[in-house]
Amino acid sequence: MSAFLQYLVNGLTSGAFLALVALGYTMIYGIIRLINFAHGDVVMVGSFAGYTMVTTLVAQHWPVAAVVLVALVAGMAITGGLGMLIERVAYQPLLNSSRLAILISALGVSLALEEGARIIFGAGFSSYPNILPAANFSVGGAHASYVQLAMFGLCLLLMLGLYLFVHRTATGTAMRALAMDRDAARLMGINVERTIILTFLLGSVLAGASGVMQGLYYSQINFIMGFLLGLRAFTAAVLGGIGNIPGAMVAGLLIGLIGSFSDGYVSSQWTDAIIFAVLIGVLVFKPTGLFGERVAERA
Amino acid sequence: MIKVYIGDRYVYDVRSYAALARGAGTMNGLGLRASVTAVLAALALTAAACGSSGSGGGSGGSGGTISIGVPVPLSGDYASAGTDILHGAQLAAKKINASGGVNGKKIKIVSQDDACQAQTAAQAAAKLMSQGIAVAAGGYCSTAALPELSAFHRAGIPFVMDASTNPQLTEQGFTDAFRTIGRDDEQGPIAASFITKFLHDKRVAVGNDNSTYSKGLAESTVSALKADGAQVVFNNALTPGQSDYTSFLTKVAQSKPQVFYYSGYYPEFGLMLKQAKQLGLHFTMMGGDANNDPTLIKTAGSAATGALVDTAPLAQFLTSAKDFVSAYKAAYHAGPGPYSSYEYDAVGAAAQAIKTAGSTSPGKIISALHGITSYSGITGSFHFDSHGDRKPANYIVTIVRSGSFAAYKKLDLSTGQWVNVS
Repeated sequence: MSAFLQYLVNGLTSGAFLALVALGYTMIYGIIRLINFAHGDVVMVGSFAGYTMVTTLVAQHWPVAAVVLVALVAGMAITGGLGMLIERVAYQPLLNSSRLAILISALGVSLALEEGARIIFGAGFSSYPNILPAANFSVGGAHASYVQLAMFGLCLLLMLGLYLFVHRTATGTAMRALAMDRDAARLMGINVERTIILTFLLGSVLAGASGVMQGLYYSQINFIMGFLLGLRAFTAAVLGGIGNIPGAMVAGLLIGLIGSFSDGYVSSQWTDAIIFAVLIGVLVFKPTGLFGERVAERA
Repeated sequence: MIKVYIGDRYVYDVRSYAALARGAGTMNGLGLRASVTAVLAALALTAAACGSSGSGGGSGGSGGTISIGVPVPLSGDYASAGTDILHGAQLAAKKINASGGVNGKKIKIVSQDDACQAQTAAQAAAKLMSQGIAVAAGGYCSTAALPELSAFHRAGIPFVMDASTNPQLTEQGFTDAFRTIGRDDEQGPIAASFITKFLHDKRVAVGNDNSTYSKGLAESTVSALKADGAQVVFNNALTPGQSDYTSFLTKVAQSKPQVFYYSGYYPEFGLMLKQAKQLGLHFTMMGGDANNDPTLIKTAGSAATGALVDTAPLAQFLTSAKDFVSAYKAAYHAGPGPYSSYEYDAVGAAAQAIKTAGSTSPGKIISALHGITSYSGITGSFHFDSHGDRKPANYIVTIVRSGSFAAYKKLDLSTGQWVNVS
């Protein structure tokens, strides 16, 4: 029983980090029908931005809370800016060309980010200094640290904030309108370019937050980390119904849990196979994903 | 995990997890750079071939010197490791020459960059041979050592390797392949002996990362553990390259082990050390020689304290290498790195063989190398078995203390007991 609880805690933690990344995939797909292959690498850039901040500030003996706060804000700001830059440079000029062109552009951005990070930070691993308190508690035989709890809470808070933003503000409504029909939205007076850029900003900020938190929590980062992370997050976005924001949140947590229980009760070697089997199973019976709605194919 | 192939032969690199990450980068985007390198290498070969025909291509050294060829990476990510090895070779030559050289001739070290890449390595070997070397001593990556070994073998030149631990290298039936470092499959029994005879632990969990190296080490450790009377309560692989191993560790803990032995690489072991502490797990954690990397301690932080790693000993852990370490520091103003002491012994053993053979004829040097009964090198006394492998292999167990690896215990071969590394 205690092992079951422990798997639950482990799965929720890794799932929360994943859900933040999955949100970016799903928002961007929702608005411009693009699978943004560079999104995982934006997380990686966030991790390295946070790493640079943390190592610099720790060397100047800043208090831990200030270091964490500054690193998080800096990581989110840098990835936010990067997301907008990527959209402006690599995607906006291609918005009206074929979908394949923009997809290839996304792959190019992904490579540029990975190799750029490799040149700057090297091919080896970088480790965040272990600054977070290790204090932990146990409930019913399962161990969790206070840091883990705080990070999980922060992930949920960011997701809730995003949900409220998209559903309760005028800009959020504009985003949803754009996702439904770009041309009609433009006719209604929505500034399409600005709204698309804003979506990239939001998605990338969440990716940056996830990157810095993972860096702080796991310590070890490298230039290729965005690849596997992106693959799993993309799986979560598809599982939840691509384009659907609550779907990505739930599916992110779900994939974290499936991964954890599969590591525990089956074998770590089978985890990826099981995750993709679940994805295929869901898509066979519900091709739009768990929460997806039928969308009319756009011309 | 990235698999490296040369022709149809599967090769992995024990030393360099980073190479795997780099390999992934290469597969993604550096294909162009690789082909440019290949073209340059081909040009270099042509130039070397022209050069050798011009000079007459004599072998065996002339004009009062005997050339020893050192193929090592001098560019790319492993350039610093290769430079350390080359420095080890140069120190050995300096020492030998200071006491009169060999058979009245001076030893001359000729180096060539193999860039830790198979194609470049084959060209490096060709260039060395065109410079008339009598013996080759060096190498770093197993991936590069394999084509080098084939090239030297075709020319009948003996190759004494200092750092390449892939068992396959000396399993090809070549009489001219030698190495001064232990091979991967000798580590398992050593680890098992430490766990059962020093820690006196009976319940052991073993984990690997499914790579050929790691799986092989796990298998040899498990069979040695069983032979030593221990119970293997867990034996499974994890998926490398992830960040979260908490559920894998929870599963390990379910088997209630006293010690967990991990035969994979440091990135995963570092994360596991950190996460085991977070999960409140208290069994001993021990890793194989791919875990001897400072990144492990940086990642795990204070959670690394007390972690054990078995490894070929660094020069600074050996009393017999004390003079070497200080000479190295004086000459190059840096630490000797992990393999320069093994290169020092490789050059030393080769020079002794040339002396015994009394000539630079490759066949005579090869039989002289096989004829060494006990060479007392700075890494200990050893001879080469029929495969050319170092006997006895040299391993110690290190422990993480206050943020660095410290020498802990070694196996006393005469008594079979684990004693302090003096």
